[in-house]
Amino acid sequence: MAIINFKEKIIQIKIVYYGPGRSGKTTNLEYLYSSLKKKFNGDLPSKLITIDTQGDRTLFFDFFPIELGKINGLDLKLQLYTTPGQVMYESTRRLVLKGVDGVVFVADSLASREEANLESFQNLKDNLAHHKLGLDDIDLVFQWNKRDLSENGIPLLDMESMENQLNSSVKTKSFPTSATLGTNVFKTLNVAAKLSVTSVIEKLLDKKHDLPN
Amino acid sequence: MSIVLSEEKADRLDSSLSKLLDESGATYAMLTDMGGNLLSKAGDESFDGAALAVLTAANFAATKEIASLIGEKDFSLLFHRGENENIHFSKINADIIMIALFKPYLSLGLLRLKVDSIKEELHEILGE
Repeated sequence: MAIINFKEKIIQIKIVYYGPGRSGKTTNLEYLYSSLKKKFNGDLPSKLITIDTQGDRTLFFDFFPIELGKINGLDLKLQLYTTPGQVMYESTRRLVLKGVDGVVFVADSLASREEANLESFQNLKDNLAHHKLGLDDIDLVFQWNKRDLSENGIPLLDMESMENQLNSSVKTKSFPTSATLGTNVFKTLNVAAKLSVTSVIEKLLDKKHDLPN
Repeated sequence: MSIVLSEEKADRLDSSLSKLLDESGATYAMLTDMGGNLLSKAGDESFDGAALAVLTAANFAATKEIASLIGEKDFSLLFHRGENENIHFSKINADIIMIALFKPYLSLGLLRLKVDSIKEELHEILGE
């Protein structure tokens, strides 16, 4: 549910980090938040909101707004959300997807999490359908997260098979990432934001008549 | 539902909220959608408005689940009493929530009356 406000000159877009439990969705947001905080010397207008349980599992969502420069003279504001990954938090996952413009699917590269990735991706499709949306209606980007673990000899899924399993029908962009180290975290967000903004502008502005010239 | 607010619409929403503050004595009012996007606000803001919008939408969504547990469709009005601030949430339509902050000495009944009275105006501005 994007908002364009011509008085405040802002375009606001909602991006949700989705994926199985413990795949690193919150870590993505924490990395973005702490890097930006460092960059602006601690002077950020908004805090990272996180509603989690004991043991750092996300209970409801994490949220963080980012301002990312101008598009067509409008300030671009991104609302970043994560969903709780654990299976039992089904209803909150559905709630967070309301009004979503873009999804970053954070897939877990651990070999043992193959099934969990597939289940979570199917769950994303089901929950989008609940909002009468399909994968075509949103902009999706994949992260193959935890790639750094291969250095420690931990068995990982190879990226080709992850592509085949998750990205063969959608054929969208995907990135090998390490959310803890920050590898490709900003890049994923940039691409997700760019894709979402382009579709929102196409969807909203081309059809409306009350635009300023 | 995505929303495009023209300058004129945004101005009219802002002035409706300011009118609500004048007439009810509330200190702050905000409109947000169910996705947590802030649409309009008026009054003194000494806190993070974007966060209030997001948490309000989440709060509504959570209480909607509570409502369905006990066989209600949803709750159209929520109210929290604090020591120095009270907060009142009400649904303007299926997608928009109004938030009003007011001091404990102000009557809740008066606030509710005033909120109800500007609902129609807001519907008209939002194009219903």
